[in-house]
Amino acid sequence: MISSDLGKAWTIARRDLRGRFVGLRLLIICLFLGVATLAAIGSLTNAITEELANRGQAILGGDLEIAVAQREATEAELTTLGQAGTLSETIRMQAMARLPDGSDTQLVELKGVDATYPLYGKFTLEDGKIVSAPKPKNIYVTPALVQRLSLQIGDPIAFGEASFTISGVIAEEPDRLSEGLSLGPVAITSLESLRATELIQPGSLFESKYRLKLPATANPREVADGLIEQFPNASWETKTRDDGAPSTRRFIERMGQFLTLVGLASLVIAGIGVGNGVASYLRGKQGAIATLKILGADSAMIFRIYLFQIMTVAVGAIALGLAIGAIAPLAIIQIAGDVLPIKPEFAVYPLPLLVSALYGLLIAVIFALPPLSRAKTIPAAGIIRGEGRSWRQIDRQSWIGVGLAIAAIIALALGTANEPLFSASFIGAAAAILLLLTALGALIRWLASKAPRPKNPLLRLALTSLHRPGAQTGQLVVALGLGLTLFATLAAIQTSLTNEIRSTVPRDAPSFFVLDIPVERADEFRTRVTDTASDAEVNIVPTLRGTITEFRGQRVSELETLPEGAWVLRGDRGLTYSATIPEGSEIAEGEWWDENYDGPPLVSVDAEQGAAMGLKIGDSLTVSLLGVEIQTKVASFRTVNWRNFGFNYVLVFPPNVLDNVPHNVAATVQMDVSKEDLLLGVLPQEFPSISMVKVKEIASQIGEILDQMATAIAAAASIAIFSGIAVLIGAIAASRQARVYDSVILKLLGATRSQILTVQAIEYALLAFLLSVVALGLGLFAGWFVITQIFEFTWQPDWPIVMLTLGIGAVATLGIGLLGSIPVLSAKPARALREL
Amino acid sequence: MIQKTAASSDAAETGPHIAIAARNVTLSLGEGKARVDILRGIDLSIEEGKTVALLGPSGSGKSSLMAILSGLERATGGSVDIAGADFGTMNEDQLAVARRGRVGIVLQAFHLLPTMTALENVAVPLELDGQAEPFKIAAEELTAVGLGDRLDHYPTQLSGGEQQRVAIARAMASRPTIIFADEPTGNLDGTTGEKIISLLFDRQKATAATLLIITHDPELAKRCDRIIELRDGLIERDSAA
Repeated sequence: MISSDLGKAWTIARRDLRGRFVGLRLLIICLFLGVATLAAIGSLTNAITEELANRGQAILGGDLEIAVAQREATEAELTTLGQAGTLSETIRMQAMARLPDGSDTQLVELKGVDATYPLYGKFTLEDGKIVSAPKPKNIYVTPALVQRLSLQIGDPIAFGEASFTISGVIAEEPDRLSEGLSLGPVAITSLESLRATELIQPGSLFESKYRLKLPATANPREVADGLIEQFPNASWETKTRDDGAPSTRRFIERMGQFLTLVGLASLVIAGIGVGNGVASYLRGKQGAIATLKILGADSAMIFRIYLFQIMTVAVGAIALGLAIGAIAPLAIIQIAGDVLPIKPEFAVYPLPLLVSALYGLLIAVIFALPPLSRAKTIPAAGIIRGEGRSWRQIDRQSWIGVGLAIAAIIALALGTANEPLFSASFIGAAAAILLLLTALGALIRWLASKAPRPKNPLLRLALTSLHRPGAQTGQLVVALGLGLTLFATLAAIQTSLTNEIRSTVPRDAPSFFVLDIPVERADEFRTRVTDTASDAEVNIVPTLRGTITEFRGQRVSELETLPEGAWVLRGDRGLTYSATIPEGSEIAEGEWWDENYDGPPLVSVDAEQGAAMGLKIGDSLTVSLLGVEIQTKVASFRTVNWRNFGFNYVLVFPPNVLDNVPHNVAATVQMDVSKEDLLLGVLPQEFPSISMVKVKEIASQIGEILDQMATAIAAAASIAIFSGIAVLIGAIAASRQARVYDSVILKLLGATRSQILTVQAIEYALLAFLLSVVALGLGLFAGWFVITQIFEFTWQPDWPIVMLTLGIGAVATLGIGLLGSIPVLSAKPARALREL
Repeated sequence: MIQKTAASSDAAETGPHIAIAARNVTLSLGEGKARVDILRGIDLSIEEGKTVALLGPSGSGKSSLMAILSGLERATGGSVDIAGADFGTMNEDQLAVARRGRVGIVLQAFHLLPTMTALENVAVPLELDGQAEPFKIAAEELTAVGLGDRLDHYPTQLSGGEQQRVAIARAMASRPTIIFADEPTGNLDGTTGEKIISLLFDRQKATAATLLIITHDPELAKRCDRIIELRDGLIERDSAA
């Protein structure tokens, strides 16, 4: 019975639809835009993370990597590593490249490789040659260094105490991504040549990496665990081929997730368009529905017929969106490939497409069910009595259906999220905004109905247009409100990010970070700087690197997942010691030690990281330095100003704990800009081991990343704005019949076209003004949330630009509304009256 | 499932069967001060196979009475028995099912489904009723109303008269016991209207259905077996033509 009813419904639905999608254009456009956006974001994120995983061996440079800071592996360690598989050793550090005549210097990522490098992937030069370690006293450099120091092949270049000949320009360094952020161009030489620079000293900042090519049957994680078990105090940081560039992967995943949520917000706006489109389509079908009822169709049959139609068109629109979304990464890779961390191969990724399709279907169900539920109650007698009777309410089953679909969307969003809490708060905020706008729509209607009637007839008509039966005020308020809110949010985010870039370098930020100054030459360094630039301020701090191996009795290596936000537990971190509270820090809890403290080991911890680890004053914390574990007690928590561009450390120890450990010192130098180059010319010559990092260069790197993030957000959100415009046009179209009627009657009574247009302008201007005010509030809140809670930046929007953007949005709304009214104005009274 | 009763069985053996029986039918719309009493107590009995004209000025309640008798609307009070089915106790969906094969309706504005061809329009009620070979029956019915060569035309490709023929074919296709026609010539010119009325009566005769026709035209009313005149929601006169 049911299947035969379904069959009948399908037959009639198909016949009735037959290529006439005109009435469902809004549904098609909105679903297409929303699903294509989600599919594109999901596909691109997947393409990048899959590429990272697929090329894991080449990116990592092995099946397994063991990294250790500030030392090379011992003979015993090397022997054990060598037994596990084919071994390749590299050492990487920052160093100053100098032209032999001392005329120019440049900070470089200097890397020494052995003869087995690379174990996977190809180390390629620009002339196409595939190479390994250069010959002794030879070096390969990247094009950036060639350009920066105006070099060519065959030129000499010096690092530390050694001089090299440039014998090739690097085209591809296969393990580039796993090396992480670089502060300068790359130069690669052999391990022996690197050692000849004498830059590798006890305490200098370098990282040794041991990559292993394992037998095919070996499990890299198990091998790593076995090795750590054999050398528990080695402070090794291990990575396997499954996750060669974890920080890149995390960034891509987080960005992907955020953009997906922005896409989902677009889809919700599109959903309003879907709802309006379906309602207006079904209004057009009112006569057909009544006729079908006269012919014997019951309400269930009507529901099925139109559900089939709408879902058929929705599935078509979704399929089209998926197709475009699936191939969009191809275009994005072509256009913006250089911005991406890795250029992925094009492939179709079923999972993000499936998720996007599900989102699209669920949104279609949520927004199509209410008008469908109303449509099935259109009375057959309506045909005889005219269409005057309003449609009945939505029935309980439809509400249940809508509720289930909403629950499914939330489950899907949370189920596919890496950070469910973040997704939940985003969904909560979006839902709150939606509810608020819905309530505002009802309030505006109510206020318009209760407001005193203006004497001016045009004003009166504009006011009554807001609340008369069939008025689209509710939908317009939600769609326009969301659109304008997005305008305001985007403007606030963009300007805040721009200001973040500008203020990344505070006025009193240092000009240079100088690393690897030998501790015994610290005073000499200070004197040399102040001799060169008398106004220079030099702040010298000891620098060491170590790993937290235990806190509160918990071994970090035994944790399955790190506590949320406790990034300090990830790998080795900078450490320092100080007798006094470091610059830029304030004590939040506990007490600072005496200047001459000589007791058991203590530590002062950054308050935020301490909270993330759940530390309390007196808790134990163990760090491993150069293979030695030091157990300490937490003495204080500090609030650290991370934004001052000074040397800030999560962990600070009293001098007696660390001053016997071999180490170098680092310095910040603050000075007049005009003398920066002078210092760059002098210091690397006299202190060959140092690396000088120009703060401005780091800031510009950060600026570029922020800029790219802002662009990605704007691109995803612009789809929401397109959807909003589609909804606006749809809402205007839906109320067109009533407006044509008004227009014709007004013309009969002697109104001119400009007067009629004025009525509409007043109505839209009223809405646009009210919504701009609300959107400003909501948009600023949303922007603040994204900037401070998601990106953890400072909230510093550019108010005039935010207001201007919102104003442009409101004027555009008004313009689109009035453009949509032109066909209404051109209605010829005589013809229209015959048709009405 | 509402079963069609034996109302149309052989009248000679059991005496004339009653196709429409309405007792004290009332219809009010709105509530409180806005309440309007449209029908104020209609008693009516129409035998099977008869033709009946329903006359009356605008607002007399003709269309409302037809809506109730054809199951498009529920009466506020009274009982309505249509071809053996108690329409007074049914909800809207039960009425829709009960109409299948029992009631055919022809309206002034044709009300064809614009997205379907003539053939499909006629087939729809048969398909909804689950009848075998709906398109064969629909084609025969369209041929019977003179549109055998217009089967695949859409409503917009047909003249007003042709559209009303399709509507008549659609109403007749499932061989209903009763045909309701609400001013079927109201949207047509005189000559075409005359042809449509002739066709309606021809088809009524051919199918032995009961025909209840709403009209303003006294000449048309005279062609019926019986004339019922309504005024202010009450039957003012009920006479043989």
